[in-house]
Amino acid sequence: MNEAFFDKKDYKPLDRVDGRLKVTGAAKYSAEYVLPNMSYAVLVGSTIAKGTIESIDSKAAERAPGVLAVISHLNAIKLPSYQSKGEHPSEPSTKGQPLRVFFDNKIYSNDQPIVAVVATSFEKARHAATLVKVQYNKEQHQTDLEANAEKAVLPASGKKNPKSPTADYDRGQIDAFANAPVKFEAEYVLPTEVHNPMELQSITAHWEADDKLTVYDKVQGTKMTQKNFAKEWNLPEENVKCIATFVGGAFGNGLHNWPHETAAIIAAKQVKRPVKLVLTREQMFTMVGYRPRTWQKIQMGATKDGKLVAINHQSIGQTSTYEEFTESTLQQTRMMYASPNVSTRYRILPLNLATPIWMRGPGEATGAFGLESAMDEVAHSIDMDPVDFRLLNYTESDPDKNMPWSTKYLRECYDEGKKRIGWENRKMQPGSVRDGEWLVGYGMGTGTFGANRNSATVHAELDKEGNLVMHCAITDIGPGTGTAMVQIASNTTGIPTEKIAFHLGNSEFPNAGLQGGSSTVNSVGPAVLAACNALKEQLITMAAAKGNAAFASAKPDDVMFDKAEIQLGGKSAKLTLGDLLKQNNIEKIETTNESKPDENRNKYSMNAFSMHFAKVHVHPFTGQVRVKKIVCCADAGTIVSPKTAASQMIGGATGGIGMALTEDAVMDHRFGRYVTKDLADYHVPVHADVPEIDVYFVNKPDLLADPVGSKGLGEIAIIGVAPAIANAVFNATGKRIRELPITPDKLI
Amino acid sequence: MIQFQYERATTTKAAINGLANNSNARFIAGGTNLVDLMKRNITAPTKLVDINMVPLKDIQQQNGKTSIGALALNSAVADNKLIIEKHPLLSQALNAGASAQIRNMATVGGNMMQRTRCPYFYDTALPCNKREPGSGCGALEGLNRMHAIFGTSEQCIAVHPSDMCIALVALDASVLVAGPKGERRIPFEEFHRLPGNQPEKDNTLQNNEMIISVEIPDNAFAKNAHYFKVRDRASYAFALVSVAAALNMDGKVIKEARLAMGGVAHKPWRLKEAEKALAGKPATEETFRQAAEIAMQGAKAFKYNAFKLKLGPNVIVEALKNAAGLV
Amino acid sequence: MDKNQANNRPEKEDHHESRRDFLKTSSILTAIAVAPVAVAKAAEHNLGEKISAAFETTPVNMTVNGVKKQLNVEPRSTLLDTLREQLDLTGTKKGCDYGQCGACTVHVNGQRVLSCLSLTVMHEGQEVTTIEGLAKGEELHPMQQAFIKHDGFQCGYCTPGQIMSAVACINEGHANNEADIKEFMSGNICRCGAYPNIVKAIQEVKNGGQKS
Ligand SMILES: Cc1cc2nc3c(=O)[nH]c(=O)nc-3n(C[C@H](O)[C@H](O)[C@H](O)COP(=O)(O)OP(=O)(O)OC[C@H]3O[C@@H](n4cnc5c(N)ncnc54)[C@H](O)[C@@H]3O)c2cc1C
Ligand code: SF4
Ligand code: FES
Ligand code: FES
Repeated sequence: MNEAFFDKKDYKPLDRVDGRLKVTGAAKYSAEYVLPNMSYAVLVGSTIAKGTIESIDSKAAERAPGVLAVISHLNAIKLPSYQSKGEHPSEPSTKGQPLRVFFDNKIYSNDQPIVAVVATSFEKARHAATLVKVQYNKEQHQTDLEANAEKAVLPASGKKNPKSPTADYDRGQIDAFANAPVKFEAEYVLPTEVHNPMELQSITAHWEADDKLTVYDKVQGTKMTQKNFAKEWNLPEENVKCIATFVGGAFGNGLHNWPHETAAIIAAKQVKRPVKLVLTREQMFTMVGYRPRTWQKIQMGATKDGKLVAINHQSIGQTSTYEEFTESTLQQTRMMYASPNVSTRYRILPLNLATPIWMRGPGEATGAFGLESAMDEVAHSIDMDPVDFRLLNYTESDPDKNMPWSTKYLRECYDEGKKRIGWENRKMQPGSVRDGEWLVGYGMGTGTFGANRNSATVHAELDKEGNLVMHCAITDIGPGTGTAMVQIASNTTGIPTEKIAFHLGNSEFPNAGLQGGSSTVNSVGPAVLAACNALKEQLITMAAAKGNAAFASAKPDDVMFDKAEIQLGGKSAKLTLGDLLKQNNIEKIETTNESKPDENRNKYSMNAFSMHFAKVHVHPFTGQVRVKKIVCCADAGTIVSPKTAASQMIGGATGGIGMALTEDAVMDHRFGRYVTKDLADYHVPVHADVPEIDVYFVNKPDLLADPVGSKGLGEIAIIGVAPAIANAVFNATGKRIRELPITPDKLI
Repeated sequence: MIQFQYERATTTKAAINGLANNSNARFIAGGTNLVDLMKRNITAPTKLVDINMVPLKDIQQQNGKTSIGALALNSAVADNKLIIEKHPLLSQALNAGASAQIRNMATVGGNMMQRTRCPYFYDTALPCNKREPGSGCGALEGLNRMHAIFGTSEQCIAVHPSDMCIALVALDASVLVAGPKGERRIPFEEFHRLPGNQPEKDNTLQNNEMIISVEIPDNAFAKNAHYFKVRDRASYAFALVSVAAALNMDGKVIKEARLAMGGVAHKPWRLKEAEKALAGKPATEETFRQAAEIAMQGAKAFKYNAFKLKLGPNVIVEALKNAAGLV
Repeated sequence: MDKNQANNRPEKEDHHESRRDFLKTSSILTAIAVAPVAVAKAAEHNLGEKISAAFETTPVNMTVNGVKKQLNVEPRSTLLDTLREQLDLTGTKKGCDYGQCGACTVHVNGQRVLSCLSLTVMHEGQEVTTIEGLAKGEELHPMQQAFIKHDGFQCGYCTPGQIMSAVACINEGHANNEADIKEFMSGNICRCGAYPNIVKAIQEVKNGGQKS
């Protein structure tokens, strides 16, 4: 046996382990389970943004053919959890009291779900829903961020914890900006954006017994969902099962359990049949969160030769009147650049809107639009290359936490990215490069996101044929979690990937946190590693006990599998797995292992970094922008699944194109209703919008962050993309667009 | 969507009869607009007459004109050799609309009859005179970025969303329709109407009439024609502004021009004054700029669509430059 | 096949079973009609559902993935809802229900169309192919293989629509270069952003000479 075999192999590109299911249509999403006696619920939303329901006339709906029930606050069973005031059933989400669907007659936002019509078919339910007539007592609503900005408040998290990213923050001298030789100040606005995963939010709720609930639900956490609904219905957790084997995208909107889910569960209870509820595309804008419209103001002071002196960054984001949604919009301003003086002020504004929820790259992507645009503006004003400006202000340790970085290879990203985009073709003077009629521009933006890690548990079993089967409750909303875990297991054990299965998306499997915050590989990966090593230890012990002396002092790292053989490194000893299990009279071995963040987290600042370069064409007379190329460079630690990781970066860049150029949920504040609320009016990028996207990974492990060495990349894939494009548009045209999206009308 | 009566017609006559005695009966062709509107409860016909089996799909050349059956699919027209050769403007305009799948379903007649995409029209909780006469126009003082700058009324400022129709109006097409009393021809320019005091009426087709075909007279524009569409993303979006430009050139001089604009009015907006200004002039950017200025006379913007006053003429110039081969 | 020829067969005579059931139970129906609340109540029982189904549905014959189907559908059922809810062919996805995303793309008589904007009754006598009917048994269609190879998807929800559309895009002759592919595939939205990989998959299949 070749010694190199025992060096951890490089991670090779692997086809998705669930690819076949996805390309044949066999993958089942949450509205696709067949249950006997299925019924269908359709939600009716309020048509006012604030006030109370005066009356509901549901007679016509009740009489419509096939209707099983028309449920509202007037006749809904009251959930046990609704009675306890102030109790917060959905733990991991936002502070406050989540909307209690069908609880009372209060309206907090437009299109708030107020009635569920349940019928024997979808068509019947949809029709009957149009027959429900509601009278309201309307009150004056407020939905306009800018018009109400002075009412913004410091969120409770910031008040309570001075170290919170939402707290007021001052480093160095407060008046540093005023005294800076070069002063720059600007305001930036990011509009409301909506996750809009392709799969409409869906739930199939099934009471298998009076006190036993199963939900097939589009969520990013099966355990979160299990806990929340157990609490909501006052049931033991083991009586609630959440299945989310396949999730058709989510981008954050599955990090919260929403009113429509509870509505479906109530409906299923009341009609005593399974209930399938699929939101309409319009309801995706109003019922399952969004990226809140955010206003920002930045003051940036520098010396004439480009040393940052001060950054003052403030932001105001929307939230609802019942939950305090916060995000880390200003966090990177504190730690990205070596400015001795930094102040941040984060505020939220409660409006008559539904609660926002983290959307890919969350606040960091919002904040990066401000910060990275301002960096570009200052570089331009002192006639300095924007990459050089950033390198000049590079931080070698975290100036916010005052800790060394666990790892930071951002410099390599700058260098490689410049080469790949052809940065040498960029001219400092905007509008000076052309390709035919089109103006050509280059821009860049940096991103960072915490290398988060949660505890996670994996169960693994190995049979005598060498098949490794693992289970974990984690979900996969698209990044390829199963594929990545199979690769980690294969890399750790030597077992070929075809013989490894990773089952996920079920609350009955061992515990894992949410799939969010770029934490999956960093959290579940180490648990896979631990489980694989535990299996090896069991085998070593067994082998030693059966007199295989060579194994007596072996460590897990010395052992690898080759087909169904156990090989011992260095000693060229081997054993057949089947024989060993037979000697011990067992069919398989199994283990359950938890892996948790360790104390390194208190000693190091752990972050993933990204760098995006964009090349754009702008049509000078029609204002059309075409992104011609994006280069994504990521320092995300070990890349365990190169193929799916590259896809993540491409997907993030695509989302960034949407942020920069097309996405805008526009509200008519007279009514508090969105006017762009379907995929024809709310524009997400289509094939024709997306160019070649070139991905580069530094691919150096961060073993302080976690034993797999991964730092996560779902978020950094999008953070910094929008400003890179906006900066490129400036370079092409000399026009600085500070309110996204950059639509043609803004450039002519 | 209410339950409705469904009937298949195999002849024009049967189709027209199918509408008799029911003012709430509608034809269904591709369904790409009607089914959408029915799902969202914006329209609720009590009877649908499926006209897909009526043999009106042919594209023919005879007597100095090209005749396109009302049930010819948008994709079939766009890909048709005769059309590409004789009326490339139409092919380009069709391919600039919707998506490949929708064009595989959408018919010529349905495309003409498609309703506005005004978001107030699409939301039954908001006021809209077109959907509910007398309820008010939500867009007038609302978010009217996508709305008209020509021919608006106090009642409605919506635009007709079709791309195909912009090319057809430029090409002097006419529409053959049939009703209980027989056939009649409507010049394409008179097929759609301005909102005036009856925004609920999009066009001049009578309730019991059916579109049979569209006819395009032979022309000399095939060599120098261009459809230029500006939208919020690179494809699969309705026009902010679009322009159909066709030139009959004599060397570098324009003998004759055809110009129409989309995304700016309640009907496909023909620019006859600008056409006149182009005739006899050299095909230069200067000439095009002057024509564009003439074209924009009488335009009136609202709070959020003032950009169309600038984008409009720019797109006219770009379309003409492309048509003339200057790009 | 010329797409203008893609046509319906003449209507069949109506001998459908449920219609006979309907006639038998029509006296019950009359009774129910005067007491509408009872309908709602009756609907709770299977009997009621059968009655109302007979009352409201129309028979349709179509071939789905090569199998002849005799269906009874409400005229207002879309092909998408029929496939997903009645035939349990959930590979065809609902991403918007309004023709705005392409997730519901299927082939009807070989042409790619949106099943969400199409009424099932309009497909009398036609051939419908969904993603479930694309592979030949265990052997994947080259486009399915190419999607796996090039990682042309992430969450997988837009994927069946992308694949059905991609196969048709080549057959239509609209996949001659990258720009063409992007334009003629723009009716299929992928929120995960797998676009460049999808384009690579299509190019590979196109260059390999797709057999339809
Ligand atoms: C997401 C989306 C994007 C789109 N983008 C564009 C775009 O960019 N540009 C563009 O131009 N269009 C666009 N469209 C609109 C599309 O072109 C129309 O929906 C289509 O042309 C309608 O044709 P149809 O045959 O499907 O009509 P149907 O929906 O069947 O019918 C529409 C109306 O026409 C009537 N009708 C149909 N045929 C006749 C006839 N022969 N005589 C009398 N009345 C008739 C029907 O009764 C009905 O009222 C888009 C549509 C969608 C859904
Ligand atoms: S512009 Fe016309 S369609 Fe739009 S709201 Fe006003 S009346 Fe309705
Ligand atoms: S579901 Fe049909 S196009 Fe979106
Ligand atoms: S793979 Fe998720 S939407 Fe395309």
